[in-house]
Amino acid sequence: MAPTLRSLAPLLALALACSQAPQRPVSPAEVRALRVAALPEGPDDPAWRAAPVHAAALLPQDVVEPRLLAPSTVSLEAQSLTDGKRVAFRLAWSSPGHADTVIPARFSDAVAVQLPARAAPEAPNPMMGEAGLPVEITYWRAAWQAMVDGRPDTLAALYPNARVDHYPFEAASLAAGSPEQAAMARRFAPARALGNPMAGPRPRPVQDLRATGPGTLSPSEQQVSSGAGKATPGGWAVVLVRPLPAGLEPGKRSQVAFAVWQGGQGEVGARKMRTGWIPLALEGGK
Amino acid sequence: MSLVRNWQIGRSMSYWYPESRPRRQFAAVFDVNKCIACQTCTLACKTTWTSGKGQEYMLWNNVESKPYGYYPLGWDVKLLEKLGPQPWEGKQYKGRTIFEAAEAGERALGWRPAEIDYAHPNVGEDDCAGQQIVDGAWYQVPHLSWFFYLARICNHCTYPACLASCPRGSIYKRPEDGIVLVDQGRCRGYQECVKACPYKKVFFNPMTGTSEKCLACFPKIEQNLAPQCFLNCIGKIRCAGFVHLPEKADPENPIDYLVHVRKVALPLFPQLGLEPNVYYVPPLHAPLPFLEQMFGPGVHEALATYRKAATDPDLAGLLALFGSTEQIVHRFKRRGETMYGYDDRGHEVVKVPIREPVQVLTSFDPRRGVAPANVT
Ligand code: SF4
Ligand code: SF4
Repeated sequence: MAPTLRSLAPLLALALACSQAPQRPVSPAEVRALRVAALPEGPDDPAWRAAPVHAAALLPQDVVEPRLLAPSTVSLEAQSLTDGKRVAFRLAWSSPGHADTVIPARFSDAVAVQLPARAAPEAPNPMMGEAGLPVEITYWRAAWQAMVDGRPDTLAALYPNARVDHYPFEAASLAAGSPEQAAMARRFAPARALGNPMAGPRPRPVQDLRATGPGTLSPSEQQVSSGAGKATPGGWAVVLVRPLPAGLEPGKRSQVAFAVWQGGQGEVGARKMRTGWIPLALEGGK
Repeated sequence: MSLVRNWQIGRSMSYWYPESRPRRQFAAVFDVNKCIACQTCTLACKTTWTSGKGQEYMLWNNVESKPYGYYPLGWDVKLLEKLGPQPWEGKQYKGRTIFEAAEAGERALGWRPAEIDYAHPNVGEDDCAGQQIVDGAWYQVPHLSWFFYLARICNHCTYPACLASCPRGSIYKRPEDGIVLVDQGRCRGYQECVKACPYKKVFFNPMTGTSEKCLACFPKIEQNLAPQCFLNCIGKIRCAGFVHLPEKADPENPIDYLVHVRKVALPLFPQLGLEPNVYYVPPLHAPLPFLEQMFGPGVHEALATYRKAATDPDLAGLLALFGSTEQIVHRFKRRGETMYGYDDRGHEVVKVPIREPVQVLTSFDPRRGVAPANVT
C-alpha cells in the first residue's frame, strides 16, 4: 500500500494544483474558532485558509407559519476565527441567482449567524430564542451590501427606465438640500423618518438583532457588528464580525446557528433554511 | 387558530387571533351607482399620502371598471379561482374562508402579485361585458351590456388577513377606531401582508423597505373629519362613520341604518372571511350572479330596497347626506323634507333638502324661439 500511495502522491499534488483548491482543514462536528491576532474583515483574506471548514446542513423552517416547505439551500460552509474579544464567521453558500434587490415581489439573498445572548449551559430554543433566554443575531443582506458597494439610493438604481414627473418635496420653491426640503421628503418616507433601516444608505451591510422567540426579532440597542460579502461564481462568501457574547471567552464553548435566504425563491423572514444549534468551540491561549 | 364570530357570513370561523373587536369600528358606505370614475378620490389620496419615492405605483384608493378592471391585475379573480366554487346556504356561508382554505405552512390563502400586475391601473376602463351590441340595437332595460365603477380603499377589516399574516406582528388594529395600520418602525418588509390581503390594499415600498397601506386618514378621523377620498368625491358616493354589530345596530347611525336596518349596503366579497368594513350599495344594472358573487346573497334585498329609494324619504334623505359635509355624521334625523346630520356630541353639522328643486325645461322655448340643448 505505502509504496503505491507514495507513487501516487505527485499525481495527487498535480490534481490539487490544477483544481487550485488547496486542501482545507475541516471540522465536521463543530464550528471551531481559531485564535488569531487580527481578524480578517473580508472573505478573501488569507487568514481564512487555516480556519477549519464546518459544512452545516440546513433544514427548512417548517415549524412556525409562514413555513418553508421545500428545501432550497441544503448546506453552508462555516469557518470561524476569534481575536479573544470578537468572533468572525466566514460563510459561503451557493445561490445561482445572486438576488440583491428588494422591490415588490422580489427579495434579497441573505445570511445570519445566531448566538445565545449569554453563553450558559442552558441554551435558548434554537428557533429565535425564547422568553428569558434571548439570542443575538447578525444579519447580512445582499441588497445592503450592494448599497455599501456604491448602489445609489435612487429609484433609478432599482428601475432604470422609471420616469417620475414630480415629487412635492422637489418643488422649485424648496431649496435643494435645505433642511425644509429634507423634512418634507422625510414626511413621505415614514419608515425612514422613524429610523427603520430596512432600505437606504448605510455604513455596513449587516444588522444586529435580538430575539426571544419567533416574531420577536428587533434591532439591538447598539449596532456593533461589521461584515462584508462578495459574490462568488456560484453564490456568496460573507464575513460577519461581532463581539463575543456575554460569558463567552477563549477556551470556552457555546452554540451557533445559521440561516440562509434565497431571495430569488421568495425566501424572506420566517421562510428560510436554517440549522439547529451547532457546537461552537473557541480556541484558548495566546 | 381561534374560533371567531363573523356576522357577515352568518357563522363562526377560524382566525389566527382570538376575536377582539375595537371600541368602535371605522366603516364606510359607497354607493356604486353614483360613481363617475373621475378618480378625484384616487388623486386626493395620492397627493395626501403617496407622493414619496417608492410610492409611485401605490394607489391606496383606486377606482376600477368591473368586470374587466383590476388593480393590481386580476386581484379578485385570481383569488376566487384559487378558492374554487364555494356554497352559500341562504345567508350562511358554507364554503371556506381564506383562513380556512390556507395551504400548508401559510396563515391565509393568498397570492403575490408580480410587478407587471401593477403596471396598468386603468386596465379594462369602461370596457363593457354582456351581449355584443350589433347594428340596429336600441336602448333597452336591462341594458344589453354593462359595467360599473368599483371604488376601493382598504376595508379596515375586522379580521384583517394582512395583520394575521405578518409573522412579526407589525400590523395592528387600533382599539379606538378599528383602523388597521402597518407599524413603520417595526415592519421588516417581508411582504407577507401583500400576499395575504385579498383586496391587495397593502403595497411594498422599495425605497423604505417596508409595506405601506391606506390609513383611513386617521389624523382626520381623530378630529371627526371624513378621509380625503370621501371629502373630495365628486359623485358624493361616500359616507364615513362607524358600524356596530347587527344586534347593537343604532337606527339613527347612518352606517348602521344602511347596513343593518335597511340592508342596502353590503360588504365586498364577504365569503373571504375578513368582515370588511367598507359597504357597497350594489349597482342596479349588472347581472345578479356577478353581484351575488361579489357582495353575497344580500344583493337581491339590497337592490329591491334601493330601487324604491325615491319614494322612501328616510333612505333618500340619508343618501342625500353623503358627501354633504366634511364632518363625520354620527346621527341623522329627518324632519319633513329635510335631513339633518349630527356629530358625536349631538351638534347639528349639516342639513340637506331630500329633493332638490327641479326645473323642467320644455323641448322648445317659445319665448326665445330656441330648442335648449343639454351641453354638459
Ligand atoms: S383590506 Fe387588506 S390591507 Fe386592509 S385591513 Fe383588510 S386585509 Fe388588511
Ligand atoms: S371621487 Fe367619487 S365619483 Fe369620483 S371616482 Fe372617486 S368614488 Fe367615484
